[in-house]
Amino acid sequence: MTELITNSSPMQLGSLKTQRIMLLVIAALLPGISVASWFFGWGFLINVLLAAIFAIGLEAFALGIQKKPIKAGLSDNSALVTALLFGISIPPGSSWWLVFLGIAFAILIAKHAYGGLGQNPFNPAMSGYLFLLISFPLDMTSWQIPVNYPDATPLGWEGLQQSLLVVFPFLFSSTESMQATVDGMTMATPLIVSKMAGTNAILEAQQAGLNIFARTAETGWELMNIAYLCGGLALLALGIISWHIPVSIILTLAIVSGLFYSPHSSAVYGTPYLHLFGSATMVGAFFIATDPVSAATTNKSKILYGIIIGLGIYAVRVWGSYLDSIAIAVLFGNFCAPLLDHYCRPRIYGHPKQGLVSWLLGNRS
Amino acid sequence: MSSEAVARIARLKLRPHRIFGGIKPRAYKSSSLRSRILPCPIPDQLILSLRQHQGEAASPVVKVGDMVLKFQLLAEAENDSALNLHAPTSGKITAIAPHAIPGQSGQPELCVFLETDKQDAEIELTALPDYRAMSHLELLDLISQAGICGLGGAGFPSGLKLGDGIEKEIGLLIINAAECEPYITADEALLREFAEEVVSGAEILQKISLAPQCVIAIEKDKQDAIAALKPALRNSSIKLIALSAKYPTGGEKQIIQGVTGLEVPTGGLPQDIGVLVHNAGTAFAVHKAIIFGEPCVSRITTLTGAPLQTPKNFEALIGTPASYLLKICGLDKKQLTGAIVGGSIMGVELKNFDSPLLKTSNCIIAKSAKEFPQQAKEQACIRCGYCANVCPAQLLPQQLYAYSRSNDRLKLQDYGLADCIECGACAYVCPSNIPLVQYYRASKQEIKESMLRERQSEYWQSRFQTHQYRLKKNQEDKLSKRKKKKSAAGTKTENTFSREKARAEIAAAVERVKARKKKLIASTKLDK
Repeated sequence: MTELITNSSPMQLGSLKTQRIMLLVIAALLPGISVASWFFGWGFLINVLLAAIFAIGLEAFALGIQKKPIKAGLSDNSALVTALLFGISIPPGSSWWLVFLGIAFAILIAKHAYGGLGQNPFNPAMSGYLFLLISFPLDMTSWQIPVNYPDATPLGWEGLQQSLLVVFPFLFSSTESMQATVDGMTMATPLIVSKMAGTNAILEAQQAGLNIFARTAETGWELMNIAYLCGGLALLALGIISWHIPVSIILTLAIVSGLFYSPHSSAVYGTPYLHLFGSATMVGAFFIATDPVSAATTNKSKILYGIIIGLGIYAVRVWGSYLDSIAIAVLFGNFCAPLLDHYCRPRIYGHPKQGLVSWLLGNRS
Repeated sequence: MSSEAVARIARLKLRPHRIFGGIKPRAYKSSSLRSRILPCPIPDQLILSLRQHQGEAASPVVKVGDMVLKFQLLAEAENDSALNLHAPTSGKITAIAPHAIPGQSGQPELCVFLETDKQDAEIELTALPDYRAMSHLELLDLISQAGICGLGGAGFPSGLKLGDGIEKEIGLLIINAAECEPYITADEALLREFAEEVVSGAEILQKISLAPQCVIAIEKDKQDAIAALKPALRNSSIKLIALSAKYPTGGEKQIIQGVTGLEVPTGGLPQDIGVLVHNAGTAFAVHKAIIFGEPCVSRITTLTGAPLQTPKNFEALIGTPASYLLKICGLDKKQLTGAIVGGSIMGVELKNFDSPLLKTSNCIIAKSAKEFPQQAKEQACIRCGYCANVCPAQLLPQQLYAYSRSNDRLKLQDYGLADCIECGACAYVCPSNIPLVQYYRASKQEIKESMLRERQSEYWQSRFQTHQYRLKKNQEDKLSKRKKKKSAAGTKTENTFSREKARAEIAAAVERVKARKKKLIASTKLDK
């Protein structure tokens, strides 16, 4: 490249830098993370922290072996965002090695093997998640129980002990860790309940009159989704993300699940409410699908990208063999993004308006 | 075609329309608006570049040592894209030599150095307060003579623009007073104090361009200027349109979109859709040129920036060194880290503080480390798309950046690099500090050069072919001439005749010389 002169126009620059964008995304994740920790307990928090530590270490390692500046590479906080998104996606109380493998795949393969920040075609956090889901299906579908008996709050001392047992089994004698798992600390998510046992389970719970502060699976997921939604709306208000992707995902999902849902059938389609608030939809729509690097970039293509992801989420959940499907749908969206960007360009100032026919025929002017 | 465009404009409802993209940077305008416009004192020396804008240089009509009076012609435009240059004050021409001027290239230009005598003695001017009696072409000629160019910064010769507009038929004249760039307040200050003069200039421009409609477009937030314009427009058919304030509303294509909702077709000019845009400062200069007969020798320019104690607008003489202007605004040299000519977004960095004020210099910003920190290092593009949202041309800067880096000429053209107006909104919002405009400029330059190379190789190829053809033809001609000569060998009478005549003449001349010699010898003998 030709040498560029420093300080040429524009001389005055905006203040929103990559580092700050990533920090704001992290800040917007905090309400959701807090609710999830309160709900899932230490297991969730330990996973997130572990993921963050591994991510920073592996990012430094990847930068180091490529002889890229380590400090500058870490200061953009992008590895931290990947770590948080990965950490909140995996089942709480996952073993340390599971976290490590997932993060290693995310940072080393999905991100740096493709050229590092800005070059990865696929969302690193979701690539890591999917890698684990395919390799370790059992570990990835057993969610630690949100404890709902009063004497053992998940964030209390006992909960910490239990969580450390599951995450770092090697720290304790084998019998102790066996006990912890045998105690039946895992349970199904509302989606699993809905898919395996039919919608009645959730409907029954709802009819029983839910106390939203009770630490039960249904209310926990609901609160978590509301918290992520709030964080996402804050990002929208700050102009960090645009409305196109989250709105089109949520609308698509609401419409499709509304169309297919029939209240009295025994089919496992699930209510629109379950799809929006009983799963990972909000964090997926506002935080994961909006990852700028791997998403579509023009406004028109962002809407199509959101529709594809919304349909993907629903299809995998209802007709697929995997349970939650954000990762699969987002990666599928990533596949489509370059093509969408190519065909959905805005009309340039001063260029003639195009009809649909000539657009379809590809007669760009 | 163009009368069709005029009819279309006549049908339009002129009102504020949406302009694509745009940013809202911090304006930094209030400090220089605290004071009224002051006349700038005459400096000891003026440096008058023969090239005041991006066009041809004028050729000097004065010599070193000449004494000149104010408004006297110093250099003459030899073609349409050059500008007449007049003496801003009286004094003596001390040199005509290259000197640094503000500009993108930083190349020194040939300048006339005028040592001022502080008398400010003028030549006699012909004022034309009753210009309405004159034809629009006569007025156009006067504008060209006055050396006026677009004073908003682009500096296109106003006479040339008007002339082109007359040819194409104009339906709407827009006086651009948007001044959307941070720091610059020259037009705002001008309208605040000289609204009537600007309106008068606008009326003259409207008469010359034969535009049936005229609009003054300004940003909504310039309340003082709007308040001053309203009474000035009371007895005029000119309309005022207040556009929402964002950068780059004042761009020519953008202000047309803002006022009419129309877009200038790609690769075309505003004239193609029957619109002509002139800056408010230009209208003021036109007013002075016609009503008082004054050529363009001064302009209103903003002196601002944190290192200046008294930021203000000056009516400064063209050619005043920037260092002089900064000094009389109370420059704190400790804070100064550099200077920008123009606004903080599209301006250019001054490489030499003695660079003179040009007709296009609407603002000089004294830089401080606080307001203009060292630009941070370029990081990876994260494809956030903020640039695409602010691009007033609706381009995809992130794609252009990628293709610029990979030197993909076809893709760059496909993605509309030529439609980029280099406003810098994309680089302003870029969270990764990528100097996008520089990439685009470099790519545009490269494309231009390679197209030039292609054209040149085509040219040389055609030259070679004509050369070959000519050689062949010469050969044939020679052969046919020889044949003709041979056939015409018998009839040579004229030639021999002239040769004999020449011989007789020579003999006569020799006789004359001999006679003169004899005379000389005889006279010398007599002397002895």
